[in-house]
Amino acid sequence: MAKEQKGSQFKIIFCNNIIDGVSDTSIKNNAILIDGSKISAVGSRNEIKQPMGADVDIYNFSDSTVMPGMVDAHTHHNGFGDGRLGDELVKLSDEILVLNSAKNARKSLYSGVTTIRENGSKNKTMLELRKSIVRGQQLGPRMMLCGRPISIIGGHMGYFGSQVTGEIQSRAMVRQLIKEGADYIKITATGGSTITSDPLRPAFNLDELKAITEEAHKFNKLTAAHCTSTEGIKLSVQAGVDMIIHSVFKEANGNNKFDNKTAELMASKGVYVNPTLHVFRSQIWTMQKSMAGKPENKEDILTLDIAKREFERRVNDVNKLIGFGAKVITGSDSSWGDYQLGNTVYEVECLELAGLSRSQSLKSVTSDSAVSIGVDQSVGTLEKGKEADILVLEKNPYEDINNLWFVQDVFWGGCIVERGSSDSLNLIRQYPPEN
Amino acid sequence: MASKKEFKLIKSSRIFDSKGNLSIERGAVLIEDDEIVQVGPEKDIRIPEGAMATEFNYEGKTILPGLVDCHVHLVGIPDGRAGDETAVESDEVLTLQAAKNARIHLYSGVTTIRDCGAKNKTTFMLKEAVKMGVTPAPRMIICGRPLAIIGGHLSYFGIQATGIDECRANVRQLMKEGSDFIKITATGGSTRTSFPFLPSFNVDELTAIIDETHKFGKHTVAHCASSQGMINVLDAGIDTIVHGYYKEPNGSYLYRPEISERLVKQNVYVNPTLHQGTESYDALIEKAKNLPLTDDEQAKVDTFKAGRDISIENISRMREDGVNLVCGSDSAWNYYKMGEFQKEILTHVEIGMSAPEAIRSATIESARSCGVDHIVGTLELGKQADLLVVDGDPVENITDIFNVVDVFQSGNLVDRNNFI
Repeated sequence: MAKEQKGSQFKIIFCNNIIDGVSDTSIKNNAILIDGSKISAVGSRNEIKQPMGADVDIYNFSDSTVMPGMVDAHTHHNGFGDGRLGDELVKLSDEILVLNSAKNARKSLYSGVTTIRENGSKNKTMLELRKSIVRGQQLGPRMMLCGRPISIIGGHMGYFGSQVTGEIQSRAMVRQLIKEGADYIKITATGGSTITSDPLRPAFNLDELKAITEEAHKFNKLTAAHCTSTEGIKLSVQAGVDMIIHSVFKEANGNNKFDNKTAELMASKGVYVNPTLHVFRSQIWTMQKSMAGKPENKEDILTLDIAKREFERRVNDVNKLIGFGAKVITGSDSSWGDYQLGNTVYEVECLELAGLSRSQSLKSVTSDSAVSIGVDQSVGTLEKGKEADILVLEKNPYEDINNLWFVQDVFWGGCIVERGSSDSLNLIRQYPPEN
Repeated sequence: MASKKEFKLIKSSRIFDSKGNLSIERGAVLIEDDEIVQVGPEKDIRIPEGAMATEFNYEGKTILPGLVDCHVHLVGIPDGRAGDETAVESDEVLTLQAAKNARIHLYSGVTTIRDCGAKNKTTFMLKEAVKMGVTPAPRMIICGRPLAIIGGHLSYFGIQATGIDECRANVRQLMKEGSDFIKITATGGSTRTSFPFLPSFNVDELTAIIDETHKFGKHTVAHCASSQGMINVLDAGIDTIVHGYYKEPNGSYLYRPEISERLVKQNVYVNPTLHQGTESYDALIEKAKNLPLTDDEQAKVDTFKAGRDISIENISRMREDGVNLVCGSDSAWNYYKMGEFQKEILTHVEIGMSAPEAIRSATIESARSCGVDHIVGTLELGKQADLLVVDGDPVENITDIFNVVDVFQSGNLVDRNNFI
C-alpha cells in the first residue's frame, strides 16, 4: 500500500471491524470516507459512495479493526520515564526538554495516541512544541495544554514555574496561563513526588482552589487537580474541580481509608477520575527488573511486597469508585516516573483490572477521555464531521485489550502517519519483567 | 574489565578512501567498535583470530567516507525567509528545527557538520541533547553564535561586539560555552541592517578575535561577501573564508589574483557556497509561474542571472590559482534544504574539479578546514568508522553520490527510517 503523507482530498478506508467509540461492540464490514482532514461518512461497504469525478485513495484494511485514535488525558512530555525525579528533570534546559518532548510526542503518535492532555511541563516548552506542530514543522498528537501546573510555594511541580499564594495571585496565574495559550488549568492540590512537598497533605486552601476554579470556568476552561490524599480530594471536589487525578484515598498519617462519602459526591457531581494505576505498577516492574538475577535481599523483598499490596489497594479503590458510578478515564501519566510515552495501553489494561468492561475501557481512552478533556466536538469517535484521527489495528481489541498493541497504521487529520522502520517502532514498548 | 570488541566487515565492489584519485576494487573495511582498523582489497583483510565479524556485502556499490559539510545553519527554516525572520523565532522552536535538520542531513550521508551560526544557545543545547541520546545528529562542530558588529550580518543571533576588548571577551564567553571554532562576519550579508559589499570589523578587531581564538587552539571562519573583507581577514590571520566573493564596494565583480595568491600563501580554505543562490533562484522562477514577483524578488533573480556565470568563472580561477576549495552547503539557509549537500558537491565539478577531487573537497579537505581530519574525512586505520555507501560509482559518475544506500556513524549502521 502506498503510504504517501498527503494523498488525495478523498480517502476511503475499508476494514473488517469498526469500533466507533459510540457503540458497545465492534461492527462488521465497514468503510470510512475521509474528506480532507475530516470524516465525512461512516457506514457499510455498500453505503459509502465514492465522490464522483474526484481522485480517491483507497485503503484496503480488510482484515483489520479500525477505531478512533487514542486520547490520553494525562501526559508529561518533558519526562524521560527512566525513574528520575521531577526535581532532577527540571534542571535541564528548556531547549533540551523541548527536544525530548518532541521525541515523546512522536512515540506517542506512532503508538496510536492522536490527542493528549499535558499535565505539567517546564516554562513554555509544550506551548512552543505545539506551535511547531501546528505549523507542520514537527509531528505530534493534538495537544490540550495547561502551560504549567499551579502550585503552592514548594508544592508539587512548583519547579515548573507557577507558584502562587492567595486568591489574587491564583486568579492572576490562571489569567497569565490562559494568555500564554493554556487550554485548561492543572492544580497540584496536594504534595507529590516533589522533594519539598508532602503528598499526604493538602497544598492550597479552599479559598485558593475556589478562586482558581472559578477563574478558569469564567474563561470556559476545565480544571484538573493532582490529589494523592483524601483531604486534597475533598477540598478539590468542594471547589468545583472537573477532574481528580490519582485520587489516592489516604489519611494525613498515611493510613489507607476509602471515603465512601467523597466517592459518592464525586459520582453525583460527575467529576472525572484519572486513576493513573500503571505509573505505580511500572515502579514495581522496575524494582523487579533490578532485583532479577541478584541474591535475595530481605529489605528489597519487603519493599516490593509493600508496593504490590499498595497497587492492589489502589486497584481496589478504583473498583469502588467505579461501583459508585464515578466516571473513570485513561490518562497514562507518562513519561513520569518509570512510565514512558507510547505505552498508554498499559493504563487501559489497568482500568480493566479495576473493573471497567471492555466497552468501557475502550471508551475510556477514546470517547470518554475526549469528553473529559473537552475535545469531544472534534475527536474521540468515528463519526461524520470529526477529525479523521484513526487507528488501524491488526487484531480486534474487543477480543483482547492487548490487541491495542498491534498498530498497523495511524491516520492523523486524514493523513497516514509515516511511522518509520519496525525496528525503531519496536523500541517504544516497555515490557514487564520476565515471569 | 575489557569489554568485548565488536567487529564489522563491510565489503563492496569498490572503496573510495578519499586519500587519492583511485578506488580500491573489491575492497573491504574492517571496523572494531567505532574505529576503522583495516581498509584494502577484500582478500587482504584479516579478522583477528577468535573474533567474529558481522558482514555487510554491498555488491555494485561504493563505500566512501561519510560526507563532511563544512558550512550549515541548523536553525535554518528553508522556506526562503531571511535570517532576520528566523531570528525572531523562539529558542525552543529553533532547537526543534535544528534537530530536524541535523537528522535529515545525517540520513542523507553527512556524518560531520560545521554549524556556522545559530541563535543564542540552540546548537549547544542540541549537541548536549545528542550526547544524552535524545536525538540523532552528525558529529557537530559548532561556533554557537557568530561574532558580528552592531547591525552586522547574523548579529540577530546574539553577539554584537565593538572594539578589541569586547571582541576578546566574546571569544572567551563562547569558549566557556563550548564553541569548537569562532565564526566572524567580516562583511555584511543578507541581514537587512548590514552592507554585504563593505567590511564590518576593523583589522584590529579581527586580529584580536583571531589571536584570542588561536590562543585556545581553535580555528576561525569568516563570512566575506566582498574582496575588502577577504583582505582584512587575511591581514588578521584567518583560517577559512566562506563565500569569498570577489566583489568591489559598488557591488561589481572583479577577480583579484593578488588576493588568491595570499589565500594560497597563507594556506586559507575557501568555501564557495555556489549552490545556495541557485536554490533561491529556482524557487523564485517556480513562484513566478503563478504569482508576479515583488520588485525585491525580481531584483534577486536579475542579480542571480548576472552573477552566477561570473561566480563560476571566479571560483574556477581561484582553483586554477591553487586556492584550497572546501565543500559546504550553507543549508538550511534561504531555500536550500538540508539533506541535499550533494548538490553543492556537483558545483565543485562544475568549476572544474574531477569527481575524486570534488569528493575529497567534501570529505578530507572539508574535514581539514574544520580541524577534524585526524578523526574523519578518509577511510584509514584509526579513523572513526563514518561511512557512506552509495549505489554505483561516483568516481565514474559523480551524480551516483546521491544514491545513498546506507550510512554508518561511529561504526553503527544508521536506521535512516527511524523517525522517533
